[in-house]
Amino acid sequence: MDLTSVRKAYQRYAPIYDRVFGPALNAGRMRTVRAVNRLPAARLLEVGVGTGLSLPHYRRDHRVVGVDISREMLAVAKQRVERDRLNNAEILEMDAESLAFADGAFDVVVAMYVVSVVPHPRRCLDEIMRVCRPGGTIFICNHFLSPRKAGIARSIAPLGRWLGWRPEFTLHQLLGDSRLEVINQRPVPPLGLFTIIECRNPAA
Amino acid sequence: MNERTPGIDPKLLEILVCPVTKGPLRYDAARQELISEKAGLAYPIRDGIPIMLPDEARPLEQETQAP
Repeated sequence: MDLTSVRKAYQRYAPIYDRVFGPALNAGRMRTVRAVNRLPAARLLEVGVGTGLSLPHYRRDHRVVGVDISREMLAVAKQRVERDRLNNAEILEMDAESLAFADGAFDVVVAMYVVSVVPHPRRCLDEIMRVCRPGGTIFICNHFLSPRKAGIARSIAPLGRWLGWRPEFTLHQLLGDSRLEVINQRPVPPLGLFTIIECRNPAA
Repeated sequence: MNERTPGIDPKLLEILVCPVTKGPLRYDAARQELISEKAGLAYPIRDGIPIMLPDEARPLEQETQAP
């Protein structure tokens, strides 16, 4: 899937995303946000912020920057920021594989339902690691194929394909030889279709 | 155009770089653009959203070539 088709897909979804996909993905999103909120006040980047569903839930002393490639999704996010007066949030259009931030600009980077959608997941991860400060925290919430859950993975495959996901995507494929240290890995109840991994960004 | 005076948070500008060169950006408030001299590109800010994509940026060449 290339960037144009990703954008086209989310252009279609933007008007319905919150109603259709919001609930299915909400548990993982809210758990990730709660984990972020347990951390001290941070400079926070959310890659793939989409319609900004998570933005009102971050603690207000986190300074949040949200980026996405879909203009239509971001337009919804921008409305949300203005309506909810989220003075701690900024919205920018950006390619997750080519971020426009200085090295180490953020204490925390969050990527929910993103790494299996981008054309080159590893490039996206490298960029996330670059803009996160050494010792900073990276949260990735995604579906990863585990051999034990192959049956369930197959059952959601049609939904995944519709969203442009790779249902067969594994954590190993993403992390490979990166020096990211996984410090916590928990499945999202009730079905455990999604996993939240919390990583420590290594020193440069 | 926005009724609100559009702008860019100085703290955000501090950490923003050109996605191509990863070099610094200059904010042009009048044109609502973020200028990367090194890349020769001006990234537009539309409806308060900076568009940090080279494909969407305005090339600066004409201006630098002008007499």
